[in-house]
Amino acid sequence: MKNLNFDSSRWKLLFNVIVGAYALYGFAVQDYKVSNTSLFKSVLMEVLAPIQRGTLSFKEQVSSTIDHYFLIVNTSKENTELKKEVKTLENRIFSLSEVKKENQRLKQLLEFGREIPRKKVLAQVVSWDSSNGFKVLRINKGKNSGLKEMSPVITMTGLVGYVYRLSANYADILTILDQNNRVDSIVAETRTHGIVEGESGFKCHLKYVNRTEKLELGYEIITAGLGEIYPKGIKVGKITKIDKENFGITQRVEITPSVNFHKLEEVVVLIEEDTKLSSFISDQKDEK
Amino acid sequence: MKYSPLEILLGLIKTTILLISLEVFSSAVLPALGIIDFKPAFNVLIVLYLAFKIESPILPFLILYFQYMHSIFSIEGWATGTFTGILISISVRFVKDMLSFNSAVSTIIVVQIFQIAWFILVSLLLSMKLGDFSHFFGIFWKYLPESFVLSLISHHFFKLLDSFWIVNKKSSGATL
Repeated sequence: MKNLNFDSSRWKLLFNVIVGAYALYGFAVQDYKVSNTSLFKSVLMEVLAPIQRGTLSFKEQVSSTIDHYFLIVNTSKENTELKKEVKTLENRIFSLSEVKKENQRLKQLLEFGREIPRKKVLAQVVSWDSSNGFKVLRINKGKNSGLKEMSPVITMTGLVGYVYRLSANYADILTILDQNNRVDSIVAETRTHGIVEGESGFKCHLKYVNRTEKLELGYEIITAGLGEIYPKGIKVGKITKIDKENFGITQRVEITPSVNFHKLEEVVVLIEEDTKLSSFISDQKDEK
Repeated sequence: MKYSPLEILLGLIKTTILLISLEVFSSAVLPALGIIDFKPAFNVLIVLYLAFKIESPILPFLILYFQYMHSIFSIEGWATGTFTGILISISVRFVKDMLSFNSAVSTIIVVQIFQIAWFILVSLLLSMKLGDFSHFFGIFWKYLPESFVLSLISHHFFKLLDSFWIVNKKSSGATL
């Protein structure tokens, strides 16, 4: 078979320059606020996301097997039939109790968002972003379920983030833990304005708060309703640390998010049906 | 070192399957086990391997391809990693004579050094784009343990990739 014969250093240099320049261009036009998913990438997401989803199902099945099979192997022989029946019933009860718990969670989720005048779509968390620098999670609902880019995502405990990129059946959510996500917020007790921004270690901080503002630990942060993405009044978190330096005009306020991201299983996507959101997105794209 | 199109295709397919498996491991298996703050960047290890050991002129396209596959699993995108990978591959050419992958220790040290170089380049690019350098050290301290783990496995990982890209056979001067 004929070898690829591009051995001259000129070819190497040319290819490096072409791909390097293309990468630099790609980097320059990349937007960390909202992403246009190409058809090819969308197809790859659709193909590969079920593998990620399957991993979760596999883990649940293994857990169930360990809980309900290996722990009862020491049963006596004469009770085998009875034990089998018990095992079947136990499995059924376990499944039903899991379904019940899930139903309760989903019901609470839906009731939580009742006062928000938007269409709600329930979704399950499938996976997290594979890079640690970005706090993004993938859910099992996409364009086919009516999701739109930049739709806010919540749980009954508070704000999760917004839809960053979409494929037909999956969506990536840029969480409030990510440094690229900025949430216009207010302190519920004092009505002080600030911008919540993610930082490392599953914490956020409230930026641009005047150092003369009197804040206390435990004060609640809620969305301000500005910025066209998040509705007003959704819980973001609580103040857990305040640093006032002797210099500067602002104070550093650390926030612990209301949502426990370590135990996040289901979320609700709020979809605005009017054209306000879509016109905002098209404006963003036009600016690009 | 010359590759036939078939060899490149086979190396590409095998490495792609490995990359996808490891990306699924990072993005779904570890979070399913409750570990959502530890995600080793296997794509970096693969790109470093290519930069160290593959001397083909189409190396930039290989880096672009693997970074694109990585971008399916991460909003990091393909561009930052591709640009960084190309810069690393160019710099590797200048220090190639000093690099040794004969022992596990030397591989670990070399991989660790280049991973830190990778982190600095990517972080600088991202910080410049976002106009905010405040997160640099916070992310760096989290990146260190992940990079240590990747460095520790790099010797065996590279051996596996050697078999995919038939590197030892090529280095010994075998004709294909």
